[in-house]
Amino acid sequence: MNDDMSSRRPAGPADRAGSDRLLDAARTGTSPQAGADPLTRLLAAAASPAAPGELAGEERALAAFRAARAAPAPVPARRPRRRLRLAAALAGLAATTVAGVAFAAVRLDRSPEPVLPPVPTTTATGPTATGPTGDGPTGAGPSPTGPSPTASGATPSATPSSGSGSAAPPVAGGIAGQCRAYLAKSDRQRAKALTTPGFADLVAAAGGPDRVESYCRAASATPSPTADDGTSPSASPSPSKKQKQKQNEDQDQDEDQD
Amino acid sequence: MTRELPEAVAAAQAGDEEAFRFLYRTLQPALLRYLTTLVGADAEDVASETWLQISRDLPTFTGGEFRAWSVTIARNRAMDHLRRQRRRPVVPVPVQALNDLAAETDTADRAGEAIATESALALIRTLPPAEAEAVMLRAVIGLDAETAGRVLGRRAGAVRTAAHRGLRRLAALLERSAPDDAPQVTPPRPRTDRPAPHAPSAEPAEG
Repeated sequence: MNDDMSSRRPAGPADRAGSDRLLDAARTGTSPQAGADPLTRLLAAAASPAAPGELAGEERALAAFRAARAAPAPVPARRPRRRLRLAAALAGLAATTVAGVAFAAVRLDRSPEPVLPPVPTTTATGPTATGPTGDGPTGAGPSPTGPSPTASGATPSATPSSGSGSAAPPVAGGIAGQCRAYLAKSDRQRAKALTTPGFADLVAAAGGPDRVESYCRAASATPSPTADDGTSPSASPSPSKKQKQKQNEDQDQDEDQD
Repeated sequence: MTRELPEAVAAAQAGDEEAFRFLYRTLQPALLRYLTTLVGADAEDVASETWLQISRDLPTFTGGEFRAWSVTIARNRAMDHLRRQRRRPVVPVPVQALNDLAAETDTADRAGEAIATESALALIRTLPPAEAEAVMLRAVIGLDAETAGRVLGRRAGAVRTAAHRGLRRLAALLERSAPDDAPQVTPPRPRTDRPAPHAPSAEPAEG
């Protein structure tokens, strides 16, 4: 590109090869020289290095990554009886598949935290610590029955303790547990706790460490679903791999119920 | 950077969270900008959906160009989004963006760069969709014409033609809005050095 600034070429590169050169220069991050023509500068600006705001969704993406990888632990207080065994399992599978699709359609409009890995309610340990590694890293690996890895949510969809059918609780069980653990700490411990992996999901759900406190207070203050992610599916992608194993041994499950 | 991508993909597939973070940081800006030219202000939402699907489908990635794979997901999500909206909003030519780019002033700081990037995307978005996509896939996502063609389901030659048309259209837009004599030119430079408005091809000497 001869930067002949005063030249008034008709408009832009003369041929496809010229365009290719411009595009390739942009994609390799070549800084335009001073005096480069406006088109070159436009392309360079379009391909400029990341601005911080563009990475705002990082924690959310990582939470999704964890959720997809985790072989979720069984939902804490499972009520549904599984007498019908296979039939029930299949129905549940169908139901969540549908729910998953519906969820995909509305998801993320407001939700600060689309998919949360279920976390044991009692401890502050995150799913990263217990889930995938403990049970083997198979969460998303050996592909489930479903046609795609989305099948990680393809088993029964009972929402946790709140017992409501399809309406999700305002805060997922694991997050609620993390909230309780968080609120139980002293001020000094809190700041430190939020830097640990065990609270990573909570931080992601709240939208930042500085918002955890108000998030948890709001969550604990409202027993009914009022969080703005009313459609939050957080709890539905619950047992997957384990569940599948247990389809073969669901007598065990029956005993688990009581 | 590109060389590390395959390793990071493999590590992320094995569950390495930091590798996934690296993928996100490497790809998200370009994906977001590409989506901006497709769906405008909804780009962040669609980008979130994209990363959700990337997370889920990562185990199914079997090699090849990861940029192309992920941008295909982004594109599908964007198309779904537009289908839900049932329309692509008419995009008026953003006059302010034209002014920002055609006759740049002293904005060599980061804020200036951000504005320049937004302006550039706003202008590219005014192109016919096929041209805008071709330009973005080539210049911003960083694909060659063949790979971009695979993403778009078109031949490489068609992509090159579309990109070329797009560039000419952009150049014409910029030219029309440019002041007639001696535009104050400040390239949007990522690194800092003093802008040298009238140094034709000399490397700017920094000190």
